[in-house]
Amino acid sequence: MSDQPSVALTGRGRWPVFVALTLVALTILYPLIFIVLTSLRTNPDYLANPFGMPGNWTLENYAELLDVYGVGQAFVNSMIVSSAAVVLVLILATLAGYALAKLPVPKAKWISAVFVSVMLVPGPVLIIPIYLLLSRLGMVGSYPGLILVYVAGGLPFGVFFLSLSFRAIPDEVIESARIDGAGFLRTVWSIVLPMGASALATLAVLQFLAVWNELIFAFILVTDESMRLLTPTLASIGTRYLNDQPLVTAGLLITSAIPLLLLAAASKYIMRGLAGGVGK
Amino acid sequence: MHRRNGIIGLIAVLPALAVVLGFATYPILFAAYISFTRTNGIRFEWRGLDNYVQLLNDPIVWTVFVNNLKFLIAVPMVIFCALLVSVLLYERVRGWRLFRVVFFLPNVLSVAVIGIMFRNAFGYYGPINQFLGLFGIAPIEFFTDGTLAISVIVLALVWSGFGFQALLLLSGLTAINPAIFEAAALDGAGWWQRVWHITLPNIRRILGFVFIINVLYTFTSLFGFVFVMTAGGPGFDTTTIDYLVYLRAFSSSNLGYGAALAMLLFGFIAILTVLQAKVFRIQEVD
Repeated sequence: MSDQPSVALTGRGRWPVFVALTLVALTILYPLIFIVLTSLRTNPDYLANPFGMPGNWTLENYAELLDVYGVGQAFVNSMIVSSAAVVLVLILATLAGYALAKLPVPKAKWISAVFVSVMLVPGPVLIIPIYLLLSRLGMVGSYPGLILVYVAGGLPFGVFFLSLSFRAIPDEVIESARIDGAGFLRTVWSIVLPMGASALATLAVLQFLAVWNELIFAFILVTDESMRLLTPTLASIGTRYLNDQPLVTAGLLITSAIPLLLLAAASKYIMRGLAGGVGK
Repeated sequence: MHRRNGIIGLIAVLPALAVVLGFATYPILFAAYISFTRTNGIRFEWRGLDNYVQLLNDPIVWTVFVNNLKFLIAVPMVIFCALLVSVLLYERVRGWRLFRVVFFLPNVLSVAVIGIMFRNAFGYYGPINQFLGLFGIAPIEFFTDGTLAISVIVLALVWSGFGFQALLLLSGLTAINPAIFEAAALDGAGWWQRVWHITLPNIRRILGFVFIINVLYTFTSLFGFVFVMTAGGPGFDTTTIDYLVYLRAFSSSNLGYGAALAMLLFGFIAILTVLQAKVFRIQEVD
């Protein structure tokens, strides 16, 4: 994407555009600022003057969520499940993506068709059969079952995305590694991973966000209170404590903290991916 | 050598293929089978098309389908906002990179987070009512009225969707050859004329794509919003098809019925997707 200003507007015509963009940005930023401020005050203080600054700043909403509602444990649980799902997707998608991009896999068309066809299936269709399947395997209420569901959901896009970027690795590089005696795994490890690092990072971020934010399967498949993940925990707090806004907003921020940090860290990659991919 | 590489490649693909076949492909086929049975999940009784017949005669299913159609009002709203923002971003004013990140921000938040945000904002004690209170207006119960509740969910859809779609449209705009704009500028075309006669026609295809993903989204991805904002109520006024699948799956003694509903949704989505492919092809020709 070029940095050239467009030719459509003259210098003087540009400031209304800036003002308009600022106004639109405020519709996104103001609610978030409001949430941050609300989470740092007591409920009586909020009800007295919701739009002012907090009368006394406090972290008690956060403390209450951690102590009383088990949000700390849910946070750790979500970390474990999301990380496991991301690592598995990265490993399996790297192997499959590289093979489909560079090796003469027999029936490659059929294999790709399996992945693509699954990408089109809406999640709600899977609720009943996944629940029955996992309960037969005795995996309802356990993390491995949930993680496998997430991995299966993430792999089709992951394989497609990685094989697309691995195709850009020059054949000569792979050929010279082969002449040096590198086998399949060695080639993946010392050539494919480093050269595909930015694609892998992008996939890792997108996959982590998807799992971290997922609600329906996390809600249905994990029933034990102490094993609950963060997003369903927040959903039940948010729907139950309607008249304690500061408490709920603190929960919103705890749930969004990791996604917001990831966006801050990876925005460059994500924006590049968006700019390149779809327009052409 | 070629053959050996092929076998190694196949072995590398197998783990991913096995997980997808086992936990995505098989469940779909299983759902199709369940939809023809009467079952509590343990014993399956073959019933042919009974569940489907029952579905089509169920007034709630039609109510819920009409609800989904009501949510479609969000589609032109999101696209209008996204288009406006993308045209503004295209001007590359100071700080446009930062604006891009801000507009992408709702996209990293969970639907549960966004839903609760809007539920709170429009709640009885929420900021919107508090704000109206400053002018002496009595609190409005947004979630006890079907139309108002749908409006709030639509607003949440627009808020959370326009930024990402603006970036998609921007990538389409960026692909337009700047020389076209320069030529138009030389011919004395004004800014609005250029937007109308050059920008819009040139991003037809990506506009079509954005339109379709929005329509699909309103049929398959409202579960999270409905779950945290209204639980489908009042009555069935805000229940969507995907939420009804969930309700029927866990509140009814016959899972076959829920599975049949899911398969109908799947079929409907498949038809929409095929139509999309047709529309795209037409646009590529002209």
